[in-house]
Amino acid sequence: MVELTSSFELEFDALDQDHQKMVDQVNAIIKKIDAGNTDDCKALVADFVALSKRHFAREEALLVSVHYPDVEKHRKHHLDLNDKFDHMLEFAKMAPENDMACESLKKELVYFIMDDVITADLEFKDFLSQT
Amino acid sequence: MKGLLIHGVSHAYGDNKVLDKVAVVVPAGELVCLLGPSGCGKSTLLRLAAGLEVLQEGSIVIDDVTVASNTVHVEPENRHIGFMFQDYALFPHLNVLDNVIFGMVGSAADKARSRAMEMLDQVGMVDQASKHPHTLSGGQQQRVALARALAPEPKLLLLDEPFSGLDTNMRARIREETLGVLKEFGVATLMVTHDPEEAMFMADRIKILGSDGHILQAARPHEIYYHPKHEFVAKMFGLMNRFDSVVVNSQVETPLGSVAAPDMADGIKVQVLIRPEGIVLESHENASGTAVELLSTHLLGHDNIVRVRLASGSSSELYVRVHHAFEPELALGIKATIDSDYAFVFPLDVEEGGSSSLVKAAQ
Repeated sequence: MVELTSSFELEFDALDQDHQKMVDQVNAIIKKIDAGNTDDCKALVADFVALSKRHFAREEALLVSVHYPDVEKHRKHHLDLNDKFDHMLEFAKMAPENDMACESLKKELVYFIMDDVITADLEFKDFLSQT
Repeated sequence: MKGLLIHGVSHAYGDNKVLDKVAVVVPAGELVCLLGPSGCGKSTLLRLAAGLEVLQEGSIVIDDVTVASNTVHVEPENRHIGFMFQDYALFPHLNVLDNVIFGMVGSAADKARSRAMEMLDQVGMVDQASKHPHTLSGGQQQRVALARALAPEPKLLLLDEPFSGLDTNMRARIREETLGVLKEFGVATLMVTHDPEEAMFMADRIKILGSDGHILQAARPHEIYYHPKHEFVAKMFGLMNRFDSVVVNSQVETPLGSVAAPDMADGIKVQVLIRPEGIVLESHENASGTAVELLSTHLLGHDNIVRVRLASGSSSELYVRVHHAFEPELALGIKATIDSDYAFVFPLDVEEGGSSSLVKAAQ
């Protein structure tokens, strides 16, 4: 399970709340998988993907509004994550029949939220604190 | 979060910037590998995590405790980190047991001895406890180094090219054993290597560092190999065949057939990089594809490397990896096609001239 400790906080409420919602969704999926309840994995992961995309859009709009200088680089980073959504959805589809898909899905979700999303966002923490 | 968090780390030696806003997360029980060419800054990042160098910019957090930032520098001995280097760094004047005990400063002697024996047992070296390092093989020394690194129950293990001093057969065995032990102990592990195969074998997640100190891609091994996001990443795994072309209707034509380029606009000049295993040779009567001439073949045991060129007259050579028994003396009318799983399209650097050629490994 993922715990969003203070080291991962941007100290910018709107984005921290988004991250917490995404973490909660990841934990809900992991909990279901660990309980052997994988039938609705596909729907839950689809919800997570939609949630993530909404977060990316909100975040990009915010970064534009505060004139963050590396906004294009961050937007490209978001675009590069699209493949990961596809992989997660494929794993989720296989999850009810394949234990390795379950394990890979859990791992992919954790790295996605902690490394690809939140840690990548920490790059503009200092900038946001000055705006 | 239990484990390691590195973010925003930049580092320079004088004017030479070796790390540029690097971020890494290693959850407890996971092994993340930093893969990159010599001089890309990967060992510097390891030294920063260890506290062997003072952080210039960014933040390093271990088990939710900040150990390095612009205001904090926790000394290496207080970070609860284990190390394993390529030269093992065992003390030659101490026997195996005392080498393992050495890392457990502050533990009661009998407790340290018991823990050291437990660790030696774990790595299959308990029978060698009274021997000195120089009497051991490289693989045995590396096992002792692993036992010593894990004995103090570190929160984080740092591995710097840990298997590069071992011969090929020993390396395969020791890395498998090491991986087994690390997974059993559930310690967060950050490993650096320049060996792509080693990274693929060991890592839950690979982070590719480019020569400019940027992270180029972070993903599980399968994604790195089959979906490289950057030509540098694609080229890390050895020789590549290359054709230069232009995108038309989201497709790129090459002499061996077309490759999809779904995210690219028409008219963009591109290079198509094809792994040697991505060119499929057939020589039966109904074979389809482009006719090629055989230049040479090199049997490596597990596969063949076959050099061919287009029969239409191009002077460019192509390298093909053939996994089945392949006897060139019995092959006639060889045709080649592309397996698109191993073909990648990247925008062509505007300063580059168009060509078809082999591309050497990035490292």
